Amino acid sequence: MLLIRLTLIFLLLPLIFTACIKSYQPEITGSDVSKYVVSGQITNLNSIQTVTISMTSSINELEAIPVTGCTVIISDDQGHEFPMIYSENGNYTGQIDQQYLIPGNSFKVDILTSDGDKIVSDYDHLSSSPAIDSIYFIRKDLSTADPSKPLKGIQFYIDLKGDVTDSKFYRFEVFETWEYHSEYPVEWFFAGKIQRAQPADYSLSICWSTFRINNIYALTTGKLSENKYKLFPLNFVDNRTDRLVYGYSLLVNQYSLSEDAYIYWNQLRINSTSQGGLYERQPLAVKGNLRNLTHPDQEVLGFFGVSSVTTKRIFVRNVENLEMENTSRCAERPLLNPQFQLYNLDASFYPVYLKEDSAYNPTIILDKGCVDCRAYNGTTVKPDFWPW
Amino acid sequence: MKNLFISFLLLLLSVTLSAQKQSTVISCHVNDVPFSEFCSLIAKQTSVKVFYQEKWINQLKVTLNADSITPLLAITQVLKGTGLEVSVWHGNLMVLPGEKLIPSLPSYITNTNTTANTEGGPDGLTESEEKYITGRQPNATQTILIGRKGASITGTKAKLSGRIMDEETGEPILYATIFIEETKTGAVSDANGFVSISLKPGMYNVQAEYQGYAKKKYQFDVLSDGNFTITMKKSFIQMQEVVVYGDRQMSMKLKDPGLEKLSVKAIRSIPMMLGERDILKVSQMLPGIVSVGEGSAGINVRGGSSDQNAFYLNKIPIYNTSHLFGFFPAFNSDIIKDFSVYKGLIPAKYGGRLSSVFNIVSRQGNRKRFMARGGISPISANIVLEGPIKKDVSSILISARSSYSDWMLQKIKDPVIRASNAAFSDFSASVNYDLSKTQISAFAYYSKDRFKLSDINEYEYSNGGVSLNFSHNYSSSLHAEYAIIGSKYSFTTIDKQEVSSAYAHTYNIGQLEARADFDHATGDKNTLEYGADIIYYALDRGTINPYGAASLRLPVKLGEEQAYESSLYISDNYDLLPWLNVSAGIRYSMFTPTGPKTVYTYRPDAEMIAENVTDSIVFGNNKPIKWYGSPQIRAAVNMETDPNGSIKISFSQMSQNLFMLNNTISISPNTQWKLADYHIAPSNSNQLSLGVFRTTRKGFLESSLEVFYKYTTDYPEFKDGADFLNNPNLETAILQGTQKAYGIEFFLKRSSKKLEGWLSYTYSRSIVQVDGGEDWNSINGGISYPANHDIPHSLNLVLSYHITRRLIFSSIVTYQTGKPVTYPVSVYYIEGLPYLDYSARNAYRIPDYFRTDASLTIEGNLKKRKLLHSSIILSAYNVTGRQNPYTVFFKTDNGNIYSYQYSVIGVPIFTITWLFKLGNYATD
Repeated sequence: MLLIRLTLIFLLLPLIFTACIKSYQPEITGSDVSKYVVSGQITNLNSIQTVTISMTSSINELEAIPVTGCTVIISDDQGHEFPMIYSENGNYTGQIDQQYLIPGNSFKVDILTSDGDKIVSDYDHLSSSPAIDSIYFIRKDLSTADPSKPLKGIQFYIDLKGDVTDSKFYRFEVFETWEYHSEYPVEWFFAGKIQRAQPADYSLSICWSTFRINNIYALTTGKLSENKYKLFPLNFVDNRTDRLVYGYSLLVNQYSLSEDAYIYWNQLRINSTSQGGLYERQPLAVKGNLRNLTHPDQEVLGFFGVSSVTTKRIFVRNVENLEMENTSRCAERPLLNPQFQLYNLDASFYPVYLKEDSAYNPTIILDKGCVDCRAYNGTTVKPDFWPW
Repeated sequence: MKNLFISFLLLLLSVTLSAQKQSTVISCHVNDVPFSEFCSLIAKQTSVKVFYQEKWINQLKVTLNADSITPLLAITQVLKGTGLEVSVWHGNLMVLPGEKLIPSLPSYITNTNTTANTEGGPDGLTESEEKYITGRQPNATQTILIGRKGASITGTKAKLSGRIMDEETGEPILYATIFIEETKTGAVSDANGFVSISLKPGMYNVQAEYQGYAKKKYQFDVLSDGNFTITMKKSFIQMQEVVVYGDRQMSMKLKDPGLEKLSVKAIRSIPMMLGERDILKVSQMLPGIVSVGEGSAGINVRGGSSDQNAFYLNKIPIYNTSHLFGFFPAFNSDIIKDFSVYKGLIPAKYGGRLSSVFNIVSRQGNRKRFMARGGISPISANIVLEGPIKKDVSSILISARSSYSDWMLQKIKDPVIRASNAAFSDFSASVNYDLSKTQISAFAYYSKDRFKLSDINEYEYSNGGVSLNFSHNYSSSLHAEYAIIGSKYSFTTIDKQEVSSAYAHTYNIGQLEARADFDHATGDKNTLEYGADIIYYALDRGTINPYGAASLRLPVKLGEEQAYESSLYISDNYDLLPWLNVSAGIRYSMFTPTGPKTVYTYRPDAEMIAENVTDSIVFGNNKPIKWYGSPQIRAAVNMETDPNGSIKISFSQMSQNLFMLNNTISISPNTQWKLADYHIAPSNSNQLSLGVFRTTRKGFLESSLEVFYKYTTDYPEFKDGADFLNNPNLETAILQGTQKAYGIEFFLKRSSKKLEGWLSYTYSRSIVQVDGGEDWNSINGGISYPANHDIPHSLNLVLSYHITRRLIFSSIVTYQTGKPVTYPVSVYYIEGLPYLDYSARNAYRIPDYFRTDASLTIEGNLKKRKLLHSSIILSAYNVTGRQNPYTVFFKTDNGNIYSYQYSVIGVPIFTITWLFKLGNYATD
């Protein structure tokens, strides 16, 4: 006789079978041990060099604590010394002339703090950086939690084309600049009383914003057969901001690194891009190349490095096949109670911009940025490099 | 005679049997009443039944006046001169014409073909008649005649070799216990159902027991050395069996059987996430076994890391025990027959891992008839086919399982997962021949997983093996088992995240093993186990190859390794005193990595990094690179303090030559294994454990308390940021330190009641220290830190409530301390952006883990004869929907620091399992 047995399993509510990420505040007793942090990036970009010295602060109170009163001397392996002088915010600046910044040379920093701690870095080797080969973008949709609404935009990439003498380790600094316009010119406004500019003033309508993109982009070709790389991803710009409406520019600074510097920056990158996934590593304390000779048990954070820098800027306008969506940041509110909404306001809020309604009365309050584009961290001064 | 038996059998079926009640006295004052009426009178007063055939006594009238007389005496007096005799039979009285019933039923031999040394069967009964009487009536005692009259030497014990078989399927029953009441000794059957004991010639009451089978009593009439076969029948309520053992040596009753036994029914009623039974998940409910979270393939036993557990499926090593990232078990639980976990005393026959051995034995095919069973879940379908090749002699069992759809991934919100696809399958086949003294079996297993993570990564891994087993009983006291095992684990990873650096990597590890194990009863109190085994490892870490035309990846050959591990072991189990059992064993194992290999040497007292290479040594093919020999002692003392309790002490030394290169939180599907080599020594551990075990008198409650301490040397730990993928010389990424684990385990189990289940609580710590004295050879500054899987508190409650026979409610409540984590403790700024500085390794913990599951099992009606039986299990996983964090991570964005927790499962998951089969409730 053949016996048959069958098991059927049904899953109810399969739609909710999903991992989730939510905000969580762990209780951390911030470290009361303050460590020295030294960062210095010597470049051949110009001759002014900066070394920054600060202290760590507890995780519970974010602040940069500058360290003043240090003697800071950068030296190369040829016996030249370059003293740095305190300027501000923990920065020590000085000059290293271009003639010393030759690939092949190595530099280190010696610091004597006002507490008498002697801090030194390892020598960091200056290697050459090839010219940036190309920066370009590819039109791309990113999927979102809602499959029917992908995030449309453009993904920027950089290609590297170095030769054997160039460094195999790089870091990219990326700055974005874009032009944007305010929604309205200055016309109706309130500054103690309701006024009207005639003709409407368009001087605050066009602005340019520049931001550094806060990601770390570290690249190595060390595992590759050639010192080349294609399609290294930089930032993604979507169509839900006003970045791509009037013109967008990307500036990339390409820093050549030593291997140690690459390991340092790459580990910083890994730590700060953690997603908490199943196969992620635990973050670790990133070791730099500095030591405290006076108190060898006290760790010194940061990295002192030297780089050759090459830069390239590209401009983007009128991206094909990409329509803008809700790019305006302007918000409007009806003026219902002038006494309360205008007359009782402190003068520091002036001018309050207004808009006329269909009956030509200024009965709508505009956010400052609707009129004054500078309200969104921009400047009305057109950058020198701006082509349009 | 035949009629008699049939009629009293019918009577028996209609009455309930009672205990020794004929010792109660009755008061009788009857005059000339029919015998039948007299018997009813006795029955009324004492509930002692009197069995007879109507025609013998229909003329008989009773006159008796007595005030306190036992029923036996009363009947004896009444029957005087009638030619009828009365006998006591199972608490009742039986009247037979002209003969006394012997204290038990006539002796007979089950399966006479296997009991070669016995005399012929009893008078006048055919085997089928006996079987009819004894086999169908569980409380009837059979007498088994063993040996020949006059064959024994006076004064010496006879060596008995027995076999315990399933009555229905003919399969041997593993780890069943037999217990001799007179000597208070017992024995446990081995993996082929064989059992051996020594007894002086004489009569013995023997009890055979196995979870899920009806307890069976026998009488042994031992004459001389000989064989016997015991058949046991599945109890009606039980289906096919999976038994989960805890530490066998730490068991309650006899010297060796399991502490935790779970039937398949119990496992099925335990709520499971996707309705799939997973014995590895169930094992995590036992004390001392934890996992670091959902979606985590590894488990941690007594503070050991996840690579310190060996998993054997019919002796085939399984390197990856799960499908789909730990959500599914890698083998079909329908084919599993026995599952044992050794975590304290690990028998001398096992070696190679520090923490535990999970020994999984598959079922053999049914030797009587063909069967098919199958299951369909939202993701996968499985089928098991089995049946005899030659009835009662050989059988075959084939099982296959495959995922058929990954539609569930499409339902997940995460866009990356949604664009992914996954598939898995596994297959096994076994063939068994059972030629009375010789058993031959072959088993093959293969499993495969594929996962494509959007267009970023592709993973594929497979695990396969074959084992050939030949076992033979040379005599009633010497049993031997020879096996040849081959296995291979391999994986392929494709990383195509960035075209220029895209790569493909294939890794594999193969192993070929030959072993011989002997089980030798050298006396009635002494059992020797000895054997030898040799393993050849061939490991190819593979080559990182460029993937795609645009990839500029430089191929990196990570290297091949090979090694031999040869071991000899002997262990003796000795009953020193009736209440004291000692087992002591030694295993000597020699691990020898061999060439071809080029090994770099480094400057002494300097970090093993490329800069410090001084020389290289080239080893030719099969030239030994190093000899790592380690004698390992395994010893245990088992003291019975009273009939319900015992104290056990055990000491185990283990050695591990193979470890996992893993520094992610969970075991990723591309985790490589690595052999000990010229620079990296095998790890060694010493474990001491002490346990106190108690049962209540009736055995409903069992409890145990165990403490353990384990110290491991040469524990491999990875340097900060170690990269295994591109590194052919792993000594540059590994440091070896010590691992210290200790803990206390408490276990309380209630069974055979309406409300049953268990409670387990474990406190355990696992502390790692890597301190070479210098910064470069220390981790965490040489200061000890909690291991990634250090879970101090773990509490599990598993409950089943049998509302009715057809309705069972089950629930699991599990709690454990959050796993250790490294948190940022301070902030610093570089170029105006904040970065985090982290605490010492694992100085913090993520929030505690807590989960409640529930299920309701509804059985169809329990009618014995019907065409189809079905049952439905409703289960809810994570009923409270608690979002148990798997990790906590930090992000810096625009100068602010945000912290998040990531939960793998943050919602309740409901499943319905519908199980149906042809046949009634009890049919397997």
